[in-house]
Amino acid sequence: MSSPRTKKAAPKAAKPSTKAAKPAIKASRAASKPASDEGMTGRDKANFIKAMMEGIAPKDASGKRPPIKVEAPKKVEILRKISAPTPVERKSNPLSDEALKFAARLEEKFANGDFEALTPEATQALMTAICKLYSANAEAGNKFPVVKDRFSVTGTDAMILCGALLKAVDLQVFELGMWQSWSGI
Amino acid sequence: MAEQFIGKASEFKDGDRQIVRIGEDEIGVFKHEGAFYAYSNFCLHQGGPACEGLTIANVEERLRPDKTSMGLHFTDQMNFVCPWHGYEYDMKTGCHVKDKSVKLRKYDVVTKGNDVYVVA
Repeated sequence: MSSPRTKKAAPKAAKPSTKAAKPAIKASRAASKPASDEGMTGRDKANFIKAMMEGIAPKDASGKRPPIKVEAPKKVEILRKISAPTPVERKSNPLSDEALKFAARLEEKFANGDFEALTPEATQALMTAICKLYSANAEAGNKFPVVKDRFSVTGTDAMILCGALLKAVDLQVFELGMWQSWSGI
Repeated sequence: MAEQFIGKASEFKDGDRQIVRIGEDEIGVFKHEGAFYAYSNFCLHQGGPACEGLTIANVEERLRPDKTSMGLHFTDQMNFVCPWHGYEYDMKTGCHVKDKSVKLRKYDVVTKGNDVYVVA
């Protein structure tokens, strides 16, 4: 059983330990003094100890803060503008309107997987006429893209047809390249 | 990352693109179906100008139930092709068309009124 007296005694017992801590601080202050006191006035010493305890003042020459890096605004430079291909000018005449309707019917057949909508003979006739017509226009200076846009014919389709056309007239790719470099067409 | 002004929206037609350098980054800005997309102009294959090649719709071969071909057809997905070696990226995501783990760095594009900004 503990009496109220013994309870009061406990805080008193703690006091000596706090008192013991103070000499330790003094000891650390003494240790922070410079090794040589020569040339230091009492005011210098006081300032030195104050600086050690409170930290170095921001404006102190020895404690300049590193300058804050401000990110420079990024330079924006436009390098190139690439325009979408412009569609060919639309001109109407009866034969062209008929051809457009016919082409649309063929496209519809193809979309449904009907490859035999035209007989080989009809395909040959159509290909021959189109080949002559396009070439004559190109040689006359009336140049226009051979297909409407990049989504009309796949690369595979183009290679198959080009290969077939070259084979039909017994030409090699090398000869095609030479002719293109000479003619500029 | 800050919004960088790159041009007026009215200067872009559908299908147009612009290559811009913002700081150290070279970026291709596309206008496709009314929306803007911006990607790093540095191909993940060998560092070619990824955004400066052809734009072409994705090609697929349709098959009949018996697995015979119905021919090659274009789909609605638009791609752009690096002109160096033909690496092909999806316009809307910047992913390689066959390997989705290969993806160009994408930049956000903000339009404020008639002004177009790239966040870089």
